[in-house]
Amino acid sequence: MTSARIFLIGGLISYRALFGWLSPWVFIPSLLVAPIFQILLFVYIGRSAALESDEFYVIGNGIQYASIPCVFAMTNIIAGERFQQTLGSILVTPAPRLPLFVGRALPVVLNGFFVAAFGLVVGGLVVGIHVPATAIAPLVLVTAVSALSCTGLGLLSAGLGLIVRETAVLSNVLFGILLVCTGANVPLDALPDWLRMVAQGMPFTHGIEAARLVADGASAGDVAGLVGREALIGAIYAVAGYLLIHVLERHSRRHGTLERA
Amino acid sequence: MGVDSGWACRPGNVDHYSCPMNVVEAIDLRRTYRTTTGSFRRRSLEVEAVRGVSFSIAEGELFGLLGPNGAGKTTTIKMLITLLIPTSGEARVLGRDVVQDARWVRERIGYVFGGERGLYERLSAFDNLRYFAELYGVEPKRQRPRIDELLELVGLRGREQERVEGYSRGMRQRLHIARGLLHDPPVVFLDEPTIGVDPVGARELRATIASLTDAGKTVLLTTHYMFEADALCDRIAVIANGEIVAQGTPQELKAGVADGSVVEVEVFGVEERSLELVRGLAGVRAVAVEDRDQKQLLVVQTEPGLELTHAILSQLDGVSVGRVSSREPTLEDAYVALVTAA
Amino acid sequence: MMRRTARLLWVGWLVHLKMLMRSAFNFWLGVVYPLFFASAAFLMFRSGDDPKPLLYASLGAAVMGIWGATSTSAGAALARERWLGTLELLVTAPAHFALILLPVTIAMATIGVYSMVATLIWGRLVFGIELHVADSLAFALAVPATVASIGALGFLLAVAFVRFRQAWALGNMLEYPVWLVSGFLVPLALFPDWVRPISWALAPTWGIGAIRGAALGGAPFGDIALALLLGGVYTAAGILLLERALRAARVKASLALS
Repeated sequence: MTSARIFLIGGLISYRALFGWLSPWVFIPSLLVAPIFQILLFVYIGRSAALESDEFYVIGNGIQYASIPCVFAMTNIIAGERFQQTLGSILVTPAPRLPLFVGRALPVVLNGFFVAAFGLVVGGLVVGIHVPATAIAPLVLVTAVSALSCTGLGLLSAGLGLIVRETAVLSNVLFGILLVCTGANVPLDALPDWLRMVAQGMPFTHGIEAARLVADGASAGDVAGLVGREALIGAIYAVAGYLLIHVLERHSRRHGTLERA
Repeated sequence: MGVDSGWACRPGNVDHYSCPMNVVEAIDLRRTYRTTTGSFRRRSLEVEAVRGVSFSIAEGELFGLLGPNGAGKTTTIKMLITLLIPTSGEARVLGRDVVQDARWVRERIGYVFGGERGLYERLSAFDNLRYFAELYGVEPKRQRPRIDELLELVGLRGREQERVEGYSRGMRQRLHIARGLLHDPPVVFLDEPTIGVDPVGARELRATIASLTDAGKTVLLTTHYMFEADALCDRIAVIANGEIVAQGTPQELKAGVADGSVVEVEVFGVEERSLELVRGLAGVRAVAVEDRDQKQLLVVQTEPGLELTHAILSQLDGVSVGRVSSREPTLEDAYVALVTAA
Repeated sequence: MMRRTARLLWVGWLVHLKMLMRSAFNFWLGVVYPLFFASAAFLMFRSGDDPKPLLYASLGAAVMGIWGATSTSAGAALARERWLGTLELLVTAPAHFALILLPVTIAMATIGVYSMVATLIWGRLVFGIELHVADSLAFALAVPATVASIGALGFLLAVAFVRFRQAWALGNMLEYPVWLVSGFLVPLALFPDWVRPISWALAPTWGIGAIRGAALGGAPFGDIALALLLGGVYTAAGILLLERALRAARVKASLALS
């Protein structure tokens, strides 16, 4: 199989294999209903705290929720294989690793983008946010880049998932960090200094900031720097994740630790 | 201890419900499942798992329900233990209908099934038993002694404080049996209790099962191990494809094939056409094929007094043939014949 | 009969609590996850001018874990038993299935108390939120009442979802809405009027009201009573649904081990 085919077909099939059980009964509550309520939760906390506008929280949480597919799904794709004990069989194939794993990432990115877009649109409607029509295209771009960048983190998490026993705890902790430390809900200047530095290295931080600026009327060009930084951060995580998996795979071949669930 | 056994038909006992001659009765039991296939265009299929099963078990009997996987054994037993409602037909335990009087029946039956599951992994064996003792209504004062008794019976004494997650298959099975007996039920249902257990462990389990009827209990055992049914059961019902194809004592079933002989032919790749030809021979009762690594074994059951080896081989013209032998039929042949004919 | 029922509930609760405590996953997730939400809320309130919302939120944040622990597991309580292979054994036991299931969800809610303690300590150490309990007795009553009534709500969820194999996803979906609408972090007054009856129908609303009242000096006993009353209503509704659900399961064989 050529790399391109491994990329596309392998990715799609593995996604369906692991999420074939994803019936609408799971998809709709977890990925469509829950984010709206998270948005509402923080909109009301925000009103109670009287710090920022409703729009601030809609955008912040709408984008942040993309981490559910981007981190959870991505982690499951690797750790899930281990659980189903198919990981060993896959890594034994001669398929080149990069297209293999990157191919698995593609449906995840699309899923993340869709979830974020849904949250932004529906959340915005429910809360009553108005965004200028010119902002739509740049918002799509920013959201897509954010989903891409978080999936990079997801790949790293997937690598860690090979070491850690309880991958669900890992994914939830990452979700929590993204909730607190990306400016999604807590304005960056309200964070203690050291946390603000952490925030600069997390996915979503720049994307969310860019999205807020765009919603307020900035053009795509104005936020290009932020978008670029977001993409770069995602790329760094992706590379780190890929390397980690590569190293672990080597290590496991020597020590037989791969299938230890 | 446990629950009142006032149902029993013993001299001197008067029970105003019918005094059942048969402890367990299955009367034309049927069970149909609806399943759906496909993800987009869902089609529903009706599968008849049990098609008119009838049998009865007398007090103190060890009754075997013998059949291959998918024959309907587990479905039948689930109807008897009140887990499933029959699509039609009736089932009675101790004279009471399992659907109408489910709770009454549940107090007086024990259910044990084979396999790894059915226990709380993170708890010790003792905690598991304590929990179920409470669920089964064993009096608080009796729980501790009863648990000790049962641990002794199944040979787990001394290991009861260990977590079940560390137990071997055989140990789990023994714990299952202990659990099923907590409330001292007069009727015990065992669903493939020795499946996956090592031979030594399985032998011990069978001894324990045999001791149940010694203690006066009535036992229904399902299994696909023919020798197990032969060794343990007073009577056997052979079930295949949801129907009972034969019933009787092991001796009676063997007698069905005791006369006659079996010709075994080693073949290397045989076609259905050739099998049909052999089946069509006069004097041939049944033909079965078993896979053995690179070759197959053709097992032909023949009427008594006939020498059919030559005729069989001539029908296999063109097929590579290895060793040929003939022997006496066993219960297994009877079983295979019954089950493959269904 | 009453003693038998009480014993059954007590033993069931102890056994399932033991199992939950031995699950690292449930434990850490139940404690750590709500802390993130609490921290986000605390950071948001801290930078505001008014100190009252922070105090209001700290107690509510502490109780978030009790609901979180319940909602995420209760819906799938039966699925878990099915997966373990014990569901058939529980259903064929002579004891009434409601008495077997109710302690399971109450045990889940009890695990949430760990989260409550952790959140209060976290709030104190990291954010300097002082907690003085005005009425200790009322507080000591309010917490178990909240746990029991949330457990009962979990019971209702478990029963409602008995037909759905994907119940865990539906249960998860309810985590946020109850946090929002029960006024854990924000006063009910902020919501539109039509939300009010929904809040009132939820036991957690009264539970957190009682806990706040006991801590900050209100009149919590009415709230405690209401929480318990609602718990009773959920239990009764659950039992009714259960009879029907179990019967349907026996007819359709949907209790089969997957």
